[in-house]
Amino acid sequence: MQLAEEAQAPAVHAAEADHGAGEAFNAAEVIIEHVSNSSLEHPILHLPHIAGIDFSVTKHVMMLWLVAGTLFLVITFATRRYLSQHRRIPTGFMNALEWLVQAIRDSIVLPSVGAKFVNVWTPLILTLFVFILASNAIGLIPIFDVLGLLDRFLLHTEPESLVNRVLHGGTTATANYNVTAGLAIITFVAIIVAGTMAHGFLAHWKNLVPSGLAWPVYILLIPIEIMGMFVKPFALTMRLAANMTGGHIAILSILSMVFIFNQVFESAPLGIGVGLVVAMPLAVGISALEIIIVMVQAYVFTLLTSVFIGMAINVHH
Amino acid sequence: MDNPLVQPDPGLFIWTILTFLVLLGLLAKFAWGPLLKALDERQETIRKSLDDADEATRELERLQQESARIIAEAHAEAQSIVAKSRAAAETVREDLKQKAKEEAGTLVRGAQRQIQLETARAIQQIRHEVVDLSLTVASKLIKKNLTQEDNDALIQDSLSQIDASRN
Repeated sequence: MQLAEEAQAPAVHAAEADHGAGEAFNAAEVIIEHVSNSSLEHPILHLPHIAGIDFSVTKHVMMLWLVAGTLFLVITFATRRYLSQHRRIPTGFMNALEWLVQAIRDSIVLPSVGAKFVNVWTPLILTLFVFILASNAIGLIPIFDVLGLLDRFLLHTEPESLVNRVLHGGTTATANYNVTAGLAIITFVAIIVAGTMAHGFLAHWKNLVPSGLAWPVYILLIPIEIMGMFVKPFALTMRLAANMTGGHIAILSILSMVFIFNQVFESAPLGIGVGLVVAMPLAVGISALEIIIVMVQAYVFTLLTSVFIGMAINVHH
Repeated sequence: MDNPLVQPDPGLFIWTILTFLVLLGLLAKFAWGPLLKALDERQETIRKSLDDADEATRELERLQQESARIIAEAHAEAQSIVAKSRAAAETVREDLKQKAKEEAGTLVRGAQRQIQLETARAIQQIRHEVVDLSLTVASKLIKKNLTQEDNDALIQDSLSQIDASRN
């Protein structure tokens, strides 16, 4: 299962292409390679350690930046162009953006947070939604698989060079627990900030448990509520990362059948036949399902964040 | 911890938070904030426009009713004016007729009295003429001057004869 010592992407393509020359196709390795981050020994760009933490730019960091940059440019450009018009008539992409903004504000944030704080928390929820959605979705588009293929057969960039690493980079960042944990921490902090803004810092912590109960109940309740405080972001972390990883592994496993059949029966036509008849239709079906999962998970993450923030603001016990 | 799927990676964790916060800040400042404001403004504009339209419709309706009312009033007034003037003209005509009648009556009565007076005077005059004539004729006939007493007696006699003959 360990790939760390190998130059990753080229190794995989080598495994796929050269198995006839003796190297066995290892489905598990290939799949793990396709869904995991680059190892810290081989990042895209080495950066110094700060306080013992390696800040090197790995595939997933690059994907995060790619997503963030694209989102910023596209959304800001559309908004600026719309707002600079004399008569503000939304057209094209602006319609979709406006629909998204209104849907999230009016049907996600407003019902849970309430009218008083809706304008405070809508930007956060909107950013979470578009960021997670884009990060999820970009994993479904095999940009870097195509770029890697181009590099391998046409560009022939220097192995281990920065361009080479960039071209072979890119998997779904939200399939990484470290990324989703980072996003969940945002939610965790947002809940505390929301409670503090609405009730004051001390009152927020008191609101965690209902008041006016017999004291023995608190012995049970306080630990449970403190646990719940951490379980919420933990569940967010796991749900998103597991869903994203699972779908990709399913698709890759099914596509692996092509190479497995090829290898086991030592017949390329059989492999291609299985690929065309079984693997591809199944992979297309699962990809379609993935499109739904990509949207649902982004929605669930933002909806839950919004609900948690709302719970800290409107305390019901 | 060998499995790269579950490898802890604090660098990536912190990069995620930083990237997200920077994106949040930029989008909130340059996109979401202005956009949310614009959406609210547009909502307000649409609400106001609809209110204005409602107001204008109501105003129009009110004006239509008012103009209909004014026209109806004008009609009624015109009719009443016509009726009044007709009545006034009738009164004036009646008055004039009455006055004319009265005047005519007065005129006729005056004329009648005048006629009677004239007639009486004429008769009186004729009597005097007749007396004078008779005297002249009589004096010529008798060629003799009578005394005043005879004269008066004769005149009286004649007059009584004339009266008698007249009766």
